[in-house]
Amino acid sequence: MDRKEANGVMRMHGESSRMAESGIDPKKTYDAVVVGSGAAGGMAAHVLTIHGLQVLLLEAGKKLPIEQELRSMQWPYDNAYRGALPPDHASITFNEYTIRRPPYGAGLEKTKHLHSYVGSTDYVKNIVVDERENPYTGTNYAWVRARCLGGKTNIWGRLALRLSDYDFKAKSRDGYGENWPISYSDLAPYYDKVDLYLGITGVKENLPYLPDSIFQRPTKLNCAEVTLKQSLQKMGRTLTQYRAGVTSDGLKHNQYRSQCFGRGACERKGGCDIHAAFDSPTGLIYPAMDTGNLALRTNAVVREVTIDAQTGKASGVHFVDSETMKDYTVRARVVLVAASTLESARLLLLSKSRLYPNGLANSSGHVGHNFCEHIMGPGVVGLAQDLVGKPSTLDDGRPGGFYLTRFRNLAEKHPKFIRGYGFEGGSGARMFPEGTDRHGFGASFKEEVRRNEGAYISMGAFGEVLARYENYVDLDPVVKDKWGIPALRFHYNFGDNEHRMAEDMKETAQEMFEAAGFKTVHVSSRVLTEGWSIHELGTARMGSDPKTSVLNQFQQSHDVKNLFVVDGSAFVNASCQNPTWTIMSLCWRSCDYLADELGKGNL
Amino acid sequence: MSTEGPINLKQDRRQWLKTSATVLGASLLPLPAMPSEVAQAETAPGTAQTKPGETKSAARFFTPAQHTLVEELSETIIPADSHSGGAKAAQVADYIEQALRETVDNSQKSVWRDGLRLIDLMSQHYNGKSFVDSSSDERIAVLTVLSDNDHMTDLPEVRFFRDLKGLTVRGYYTSKIGIDDELEYRGNRMLTEYVGCDDPTPKSR
Repeated sequence: MDRKEANGVMRMHGESSRMAESGIDPKKTYDAVVVGSGAAGGMAAHVLTIHGLQVLLLEAGKKLPIEQELRSMQWPYDNAYRGALPPDHASITFNEYTIRRPPYGAGLEKTKHLHSYVGSTDYVKNIVVDERENPYTGTNYAWVRARCLGGKTNIWGRLALRLSDYDFKAKSRDGYGENWPISYSDLAPYYDKVDLYLGITGVKENLPYLPDSIFQRPTKLNCAEVTLKQSLQKMGRTLTQYRAGVTSDGLKHNQYRSQCFGRGACERKGGCDIHAAFDSPTGLIYPAMDTGNLALRTNAVVREVTIDAQTGKASGVHFVDSETMKDYTVRARVVLVAASTLESARLLLLSKSRLYPNGLANSSGHVGHNFCEHIMGPGVVGLAQDLVGKPSTLDDGRPGGFYLTRFRNLAEKHPKFIRGYGFEGGSGARMFPEGTDRHGFGASFKEEVRRNEGAYISMGAFGEVLARYENYVDLDPVVKDKWGIPALRFHYNFGDNEHRMAEDMKETAQEMFEAAGFKTVHVSSRVLTEGWSIHELGTARMGSDPKTSVLNQFQQSHDVKNLFVVDGSAFVNASCQNPTWTIMSLCWRSCDYLADELGKGNL
Repeated sequence: MSTEGPINLKQDRRQWLKTSATVLGASLLPLPAMPSEVAQAETAPGTAQTKPGETKSAARFFTPAQHTLVEELSETIIPADSHSGGAKAAQVADYIEQALRETVDNSQKSVWRDGLRLIDLMSQHYNGKSFVDSSSDERIAVLTVLSDNDHMTDLPEVRFFRDLKGLTVRGYYTSKIGIDDELEYRGNRMLTEYVGCDDPTPKSR
């Protein structure tokens, strides 16, 4: 750190000064402070700095040398552990999530470091948090957190889907829950902006329930995937190329990202070290620094949003340095919380004061509630028998395989459950073959693995978990994290609608594979632990009624006008589509509004 | 060895354990609990500070004889054939050696220490000679007993077989021979256009 800098803020400005440093001026009042540097925080920094605001971006984790972490082109035999975790690291397995209760560190003391299930490779271990430093309690939940610059965007699955009025106005369709305070037409221009600024590949399908993006050059389906697509067409169902938040044609306005050149084991759980796949640092934060309006402070664990007791407005934040444990205060005219759905709820609940005894922005009592996500687990593995024994094919030089869109509760009403689900899937040869868990050994085992390599096709479902008030998080009265901050406590379970939907997922998955002529290898009916989708949403929902919602349609607190919560916590329902593109579009829209209001002196 | 159907391991093992109960002790009885650790001078584990790749300076997990046995076991799991080399050529035993030397999971170490001795007891019982001295068919016969009974995870020899198979598979298919020669993997290279498939029905590529 630069000795001139009392608070050690790192200020990045273009390539040359990326590592230059500057400090937080304790006397300065920033126009805006943004808590969190993932999809939402990065987008907030981008939009607000373009508007000319002086922004301070705070990230709880460190800035990793991300290319050295991801190494997506590394051959496994060039890795000391063949890509697996080093011996002093372990990740929590599905079985352990099931038989143990949070905090998951207890009983798993063999290794020095313990990670969520995602942290199961050498390429991801430093991106996800150490569970022991970040405990939580309550019901079983596979909570995946990435504390580092860019957060989970460094390793996200890249499926970039829009929501539609089937989602925004779902209550009008089936009577359940609440409608969003916006319509698709409100958000569509911002989806377009996100498409163009960040890049997305895909194929237009003209589906009313899954609107098209402005796509760059799509990847192609391989043979088994086309077979499935053609079979599904007869059933009136749609399989489309994986809509990936990846630039296939390049982005002239962004010097930090390369176009996809089809290299790398993209199916490996991990990120893209040429940044063809969107990540917040290269896609949003570095360009924001180039405006000269952004200061970045990593290792800043925010513990409270501070309040001006006279005005009742937010005045800034308190944070603790994750390494030195020193406390800091920063001041800002506007506070944006973008710490991820669950961390944002935690921060609001932590920010208790005489004025706001239930936590900040919580006069409704809804902060932490209406917590929802996607249910996962049911799926199918099949074998395209006409491909067995065929020469090896190249199948993984692309960001994803296919997306099979929702088909339930569109025109017809399903008798057993409301809302819908889609499938993500893919086929073809992988660097590490499928099917090695088969019975047996020896010459026939080896030959079967080889002959079937490339003929496998699989898919797994993602279904909407209903937003319910009874599913919520609060603060644990006893357990604290490494920095002495109260831990989050879960009160969250899948309900009957989800379990009935999961039953249907399993049945339709098998039916569709059989109809396509695939030999069924495995049908999975087990539901994965709550949290597995890493799509947690809804803990500070938007709405027009301050009694039943936390934020207005611009993600602005009903209670505190200069406080915005711009991440997935604002969602009113989870829909069944992956949330990242919607998080960023909503955030862009809200930040345009914020800048306008700030200019008018309304905040 | 009989080919009249799978051997019931739980019945058979009484015989081959009887002959050697004094050598093995109680640790090889069916276990709900993990096998107790058997102290063994030559298998002192490497310390946790061992850096990857520094195999020469660290204490080895396998004795030379055990290493040879693991080579032959892994080659029986994934043998060389006319298409490509097997586990031996891919140096899977070295991979397993490193994994066991560095693991902090002491129960896994115990499974291997016990398992390597159980394999030779089984080999003596079924073939009248050690595993390494057995023919290829005789080796297959011993592992077939374990594979056919691989659901009996309370038995230490079954646990050993499952871990042997898992590590062999992982070591082999992450090796250059496994990736390049056996699977002829074609990815991880520059690609101007992903080929894909326009219509699978006329001909499969």
